[in-house]
Amino acid sequence: MDTKLVKEVTDWLKTTDLAEFCYGKDGDSIEIKTREALPEPAQFESSLVSVCSPAVGIYHAAEKGKTLSLVQGQAVAQAAPLGWVETVGKKHKVTAPCAGKLQAIAVQEGAVVEFGLPLFFIEP
Amino acid sequence: MSGKNNVTSFQKVLVANRGEIALRILRTLKEMNIKSVAVYSEADRNSLHVRMADEAVCIGPASSSQSYLNIDAIVTAATITGADAVHPGYGFLSENAEFAAAVAKAGLTFIGPSAETISMLGVKSTARKIAVKAGVAVTPGSDGVVGANYHAAARKIGFPLMIKAALGGGGKGMRACLKEEDLDRMFKTAQAEARANFGDDRMYFEKLVLNPRHIEVQVAADNYGNVVAFAERDCSLQRRHQKLVEESPSPFVDSKTRLQLQEAACKVVKAAKYGGLGTVEFLMAPTKEFYFMEVNTRLQVEHPVTEEVCGHDLVKLQIQLAQGEVLPFSQKEAAAIKCHAIEHRINAEDSERNFAPCPGTVSEWTPAGGLGVRVDSHMYTGYAIPTYYDSLIAKLIVTAPDRARLLARSRRCLSEFLVEGIKTTLPFHQKIVVNSDFVSGNTDTGLIERMLKQEKENESQS
Repeated sequence: MDTKLVKEVTDWLKTTDLAEFCYGKDGDSIEIKTREALPEPAQFESSLVSVCSPAVGIYHAAEKGKTLSLVQGQAVAQAAPLGWVETVGKKHKVTAPCAGKLQAIAVQEGAVVEFGLPLFFIEP
Repeated sequence: MSGKNNVTSFQKVLVANRGEIALRILRTLKEMNIKSVAVYSEADRNSLHVRMADEAVCIGPASSSQSYLNIDAIVTAATITGADAVHPGYGFLSENAEFAAAVAKAGLTFIGPSAETISMLGVKSTARKIAVKAGVAVTPGSDGVVGANYHAAARKIGFPLMIKAALGGGGKGMRACLKEEDLDRMFKTAQAEARANFGDDRMYFEKLVLNPRHIEVQVAADNYGNVVAFAERDCSLQRRHQKLVEESPSPFVDSKTRLQLQEAACKVVKAAKYGGLGTVEFLMAPTKEFYFMEVNTRLQVEHPVTEEVCGHDLVKLQIQLAQGEVLPFSQKEAAAIKCHAIEHRINAEDSERNFAPCPGTVSEWTPAGGLGVRVDSHMYTGYAIPTYYDSLIAKLIVTAPDRARLLARSRRCLSEFLVEGIKTTLPFHQKIVVNSDFVSGNTDTGLIERMLKQEKENESQS
């Protein structure tokens, strides 16, 4: 097998939009498949654990009259309180799903949050 | 039309629904130049209503109980987006008095009747009492529990009749009694069943209407006592109490009966001091006598049929009434019959396999088109139908100047409607529009079951 040709074809394929390329020789056969029109969703791996909003509402770090200061890089224990999401009729607790380091704080006091919005990222 | 009007124009409306009805409402909001807010569950992230609205808010996970039925989340979403009204659509929370009350408590307008009206009409016996008081016929019954003299009570109503358990439900303790000779036997077995199932053997009677038609009247009422009724819809084609085809006007109702229906519907609405858009449902006997069944306090799935016939946007009307406007047209205009219309409900169900739900990805979506065709749908090629919700994927609404041309157009539309990747009820609709009873207008609520039974017999013979 001509490995040089294989490398050349592979390199060339990388410069095109083609997903698959078949090539015959004596039987004269070429088969080409293009990529799907829709791009694949971005896949990435992260070691961080996200803490998502449990409800649509307004985020408060602490109850009225109290303070809870969260600092990026601080250590948190499992189930440590990370604030509240307040709805019309309820208060939904936000807690750390695991122990670790609070690597990112993506929410500010008084912010409007949707259900499922990442509020914090913890590195276990 | 008279009365002092206290009108507040909505700037932004939250649509507390999904699917085709969310799109339907968003379209009218856009035409009325009102900003819109869509709410969605995690399973509906790729839904058209999320894309079509001016704003969209994720309110919860896929399960309806935590998203589209979550009163707290929806009212919160309305409050934080600054909406001044909430449109509930149909299904989900549309007839939930608690939701209507929560919306009002948050200082917003619920586009529909008041919480009190919803809860009052939601109780069947209360709704029945209102109809009786308004002078509208209800199915004759024993007016409460029957005692040892049940023979006399039965004779007074006449046969055939239904024997029902006072605390009954789910068909238990219920018997259809066709003639007096069967009464003793049937009464005793039904009573024994009631005792065994509900620990209570109080029984009552109700007249049994054989081969009834389901006829309903769309009504609209403003806050100033004005009420209009539209031409009736015939929704007799049902499978297990689920409507499949609705048409207007009914091929069975003559102009005299039509006026009586409209008059009866208006009486019920006035007696209930109803405000907004609603539907009064009747059961019609082959003699054209009709009996009040219930009031639906919301926009209905089949509302486009009436929109086509009368030429008015009913969602717009609903919003105008909720804003406190006076009914913008007269009874004569509302009752106008401008064409004949039919709606086919297309579900993601396998009609060849007992209508089993068939969610999946729509690999091709090419709906019918052309003159007199409207398709209300949230489908698109590549859309993955979530398994969590209702199986309705489209409503095919066809109009024509008369019924013969309407059915010809329906047949044409159903044959060109192309859906790939999932099973739908399209093949079953194709059978309905060539069924001789349906074509001749000889329909009742049992026709679909008879069609299915006939099909099964034909299969076993071949």
